[in-house]
Amino acid sequence: MSLPCGTRNYSYNTDMAIIRTKTQWVLFSLFLLALFTMPFYLPSSWFDIVNSIGILLVAIIGLNILMGYCGQLSLGHAGFMAVGAFTTAIFTNSLHLPYLASFLCSGLSAGLIGLIFGIPSLRVKGFYLAISTIAAQFIIIWVLKNWTDVTHGANGLNVSQASIGNFVFDSEAKQYYLIFSIASLSVLFATNLARSRIGRAFIAIRDNDLAAEVMGINVFNYKLLGFFLGCFFAGLAGSLYAQYKGHISYEDFTFQQSILYIGMLIIGGLGSSLGPILGTVIIESLQKGLTYWVAPWLEQTITFLPTGFSSGLNLMVFGLAFILILIFEPRGLAHLWSLFKGSYRLWPFSY
Amino acid sequence: MKKAPFAVVITLLLVFSFIFTNVLACSNQTPTPKKPLKVGFSIPLTGRAAEKGAPIGQGQLDAMKYINDELGGVDGNKIEVAWYDTNYDAPKATAIVKKLMEDGCLFFTVVASADMSASKEIANRAGFPGMVCFSSPSLTHPPQHIYAQLPDYGDDWAAFSRYYLKNIWKGPGKPKMALELLSNSTGYGVRDAARAAADELGIEIIAVEEHSATTISETDALTRIKAKNPDILFISSTPAPTAILLKNASDLKMIPGLTVACAHASFTKALIDSAGKDVCQDVYGVYPTVNWGDNVPGMAKMVEYGKARHPEYTGNNDYMIGWASSLINAEIIKQALKTSSVDALAKGDATAWQLVEKNGFLNVKGYDVGGLHGPVDFSDPVDKRGSKSVKIFQIKSGQMVALTTDWVDAPNIKYETLDWFGK
Amino acid sequence: MDTLIQNSMTGIAIGMVYALIALGFALIWKSSRVANLALGQLVLISSWFTYGMLMQLKFPFWFGMIMTVAFAVLLGWLIERLALRPLIGQPILSLIAVTLGLAYFLEGLTAFIWPQGQGYLPRVFPQESIKIGPATIQQELLWGAVISLILFILLSLFFKYHKMGIAMRATADDQLAVQACAVPVTRIFSMSWIFACIVAAVGGILISSIAAINYGLVETGFKSFSVVILGGMESFLGCIVAGPIIGLCETFGGSLLGSSVKELIPFLIIMIVIMFKPFGLFGEERIERI
Repeated sequence: MSLPCGTRNYSYNTDMAIIRTKTQWVLFSLFLLALFTMPFYLPSSWFDIVNSIGILLVAIIGLNILMGYCGQLSLGHAGFMAVGAFTTAIFTNSLHLPYLASFLCSGLSAGLIGLIFGIPSLRVKGFYLAISTIAAQFIIIWVLKNWTDVTHGANGLNVSQASIGNFVFDSEAKQYYLIFSIASLSVLFATNLARSRIGRAFIAIRDNDLAAEVMGINVFNYKLLGFFLGCFFAGLAGSLYAQYKGHISYEDFTFQQSILYIGMLIIGGLGSSLGPILGTVIIESLQKGLTYWVAPWLEQTITFLPTGFSSGLNLMVFGLAFILILIFEPRGLAHLWSLFKGSYRLWPFSY
Repeated sequence: MKKAPFAVVITLLLVFSFIFTNVLACSNQTPTPKKPLKVGFSIPLTGRAAEKGAPIGQGQLDAMKYINDELGGVDGNKIEVAWYDTNYDAPKATAIVKKLMEDGCLFFTVVASADMSASKEIANRAGFPGMVCFSSPSLTHPPQHIYAQLPDYGDDWAAFSRYYLKNIWKGPGKPKMALELLSNSTGYGVRDAARAAADELGIEIIAVEEHSATTISETDALTRIKAKNPDILFISSTPAPTAILLKNASDLKMIPGLTVACAHASFTKALIDSAGKDVCQDVYGVYPTVNWGDNVPGMAKMVEYGKARHPEYTGNNDYMIGWASSLINAEIIKQALKTSSVDALAKGDATAWQLVEKNGFLNVKGYDVGGLHGPVDFSDPVDKRGSKSVKIFQIKSGQMVALTTDWVDAPNIKYETLDWFGK
Repeated sequence: MDTLIQNSMTGIAIGMVYALIALGFALIWKSSRVANLALGQLVLISSWFTYGMLMQLKFPFWFGMIMTVAFAVLLGWLIERLALRPLIGQPILSLIAVTLGLAYFLEGLTAFIWPQGQGYLPRVFPQESIKIGPATIQQELLWGAVISLILFILLSLFFKYHKMGIAMRATADDQLAVQACAVPVTRIFSMSWIFACIVAAVGGILISSIAAINYGLVETGFKSFSVVILGGMESFLGCIVAGPIIGLCETFGGSLLGSSVKELIPFLIIMIVIMFKPFGLFGEERIERI
């Protein structure tokens, strides 16, 4: 059901490819074209939303690898982003490394910290692991807050914008290209990871880790690898966030953000390549749309309620969406999309 | 094959919708009509700072209404306000300052120092000038495009220390001071100021304790402080933890007896209400404005609007701070209009920002803000604080009584010359 | 020596307050094996409701308390009915995620109805402090400790001897078997959520009358997780024992290592417990079979 009928493959390569039919190639090329020419026709006030969607996409892809493929609950993703962000800030400011080097280093450092906090996954599963990742989040933020020699505590750190050699990404459009190139590469990586040996091991662990161990998969190694990869992408996202925003402090990475990321992932759909993309786009647009357009309009029209009531709206709408998706479609919007594709292909039973 | 026409149809549909949305997007960018003068407000109306953010924000908006309705705007030009609620959330504050730049504002005003910390880098990079109501040393040092309306918490500490040394301290040697600080920029401002200037002023800091905004009891920290026999306890926090500190200190029999002083973040009516009159008796406080109801020229209008539009904030000095900040906004525009034209400013782009900073901000000298707080002067290139003076109060029988009739100057501490600053 | 006793007493008293909130969590886990991550927000919204009753609508004190308990009952019933019943039988991720969504929603609801961000309750308990030996304790904290103990005793007795309590324990063990015995499982879930909300409301009123109503209640809720983990998720005795332990560690850690360490200690304890004894002091070890 996942391919139109009449698709025939004559070699193993074509059978295993991601894009199989000519229609899919055309659509994909058009999409890529649209994506990479967007800065030319996007209204300038939308750049902020689109760029933050791109940054979050990288983080949520990491979370997808960890939660969607490997099945390990992680409620501390914002903390790992913070590690990446601060690494970039420190490396570019104090050590004066070029941006790309500190970019990779932030991924590595976040991955290593994730590795350390992933060690409990050997002993516990499910809710206990979730609690230990919550503790990880708070511990990381505490360290960032109190290690003031390095992180400047509440004052935060200023980060200059990314630059490759002499080319500085100083406009929103240039940032767009940087962010979306990295995001596209991440999506490519994650999709291929899921189809590789490592990905299959992850999925086996997610489905039943005792059985996976019995089958000979080294569960501990792969769980740690899952944490490393997931937090690596979180670190990359944190690095992009730091240079995009220009100023970071420990207050930017709260537990509420972690819940938001989980929400994006689950609403989009765990364990698929399309899921993180859908989730991030929809939830982030919802949040920004509510803050910028709906809230001021509501404040002006409904004046009999105490002012400021609309800021709760953001949280309520997200919480409600989250609960409703969990009740009605726990596999997320990506699953709904694949159902739609299937029904479109099969109806009206033309053959 | 049956599927081929479908594929062609879909592809054509997509291409058409692509072109269609392009056309729509381009049509959005029609030439805009003449723009009014716009200012931006970034207010933590909800969230953890709402206790102070809400009255200040309402004060700002009410004052703008007063300026537009009764005074007819600035030199006949109405001022349009674009404001957003930051929910005291740093990423939101950053996004909001970008939006204010997009909206074509001339400059922006931020209420909370944490929100300004998040916004200042982007504003400084673009040259978008901004004013912050509650400041902290890291916002104005090194000086760039951010201006502080009022002295920061470090200045409170310095002003009170000077007042104490001059008027209260009689003994030989240096007085021993203990600091109880909220573990965020409110507290750290005092910590940095004390570190920078305590020796110079002649004060010995014997203990620095931190607490979080959510603490239930600080008896253990106060026991440690009591063991070191301080002469003064200086608290820089918000009302709720300060109330707990005062109650715990009273339990430990530290007060009455010890001199206690609060920085302006917690020295409000909420403190007296939640701690109780007995515990607050004789507590000193620093506040950068006059008291509600004092006899100054700008008080009458503010009280009138406050009673009519937001009676729940009557007696709340934070509302006064917001009101004053809009008056300062109007003065900045007025100064700018003396040299620049309305059209040049109304563009709200980078050139307009440079003009409003050079001709507006830097020309505000000795503006008295209706006597509501110390005179505002933005012309000093190094000292970006508007008002540099505070008033010292003491709580007597549940009322805040001013101890000084004049404004007490808070000296400018040159933090950027210290190598540990910013850490 | 004096400081030692002072620190111990304060630590134990604060820890009992954490234990009170942790009781609510243990309650739900004990009866339905759902991890209620919305604990802090339940405390928050009950406190705000009390604020609304007492300060905004100016009802008399006892009436306000009764209304708050009624509200907690309603809230618990609604949560169970609307958010948790549709998810019976779903994998654990959905259950945890739905409580997270609930947490977000409750926080938004609170900000919607009471946007002022901070509120003060009238003082419920007498204000003079009591001297025990060389140490001084706020009377409110003592009252909090006493209330925690009373609730603990009540709940333990309920779960051990009352028919409904036994049914709740059975449900946590094997849901299908309980259904086969014609016990209405859904009513059991409702009851456990209602009790948990009442406990959260009591805890909320206690803490808010000592401090203030603000987002800090949620952070105190997070610290209660450490109490739950240390004590064992389904054990009430574990909560009562672990609460003071965490309180003591906090105060002693604060005095030895500096007051900024206080916030870190509950979470460090979580990590240490999970690494070495994941089921806590009094928890049951679950053996997993393929």
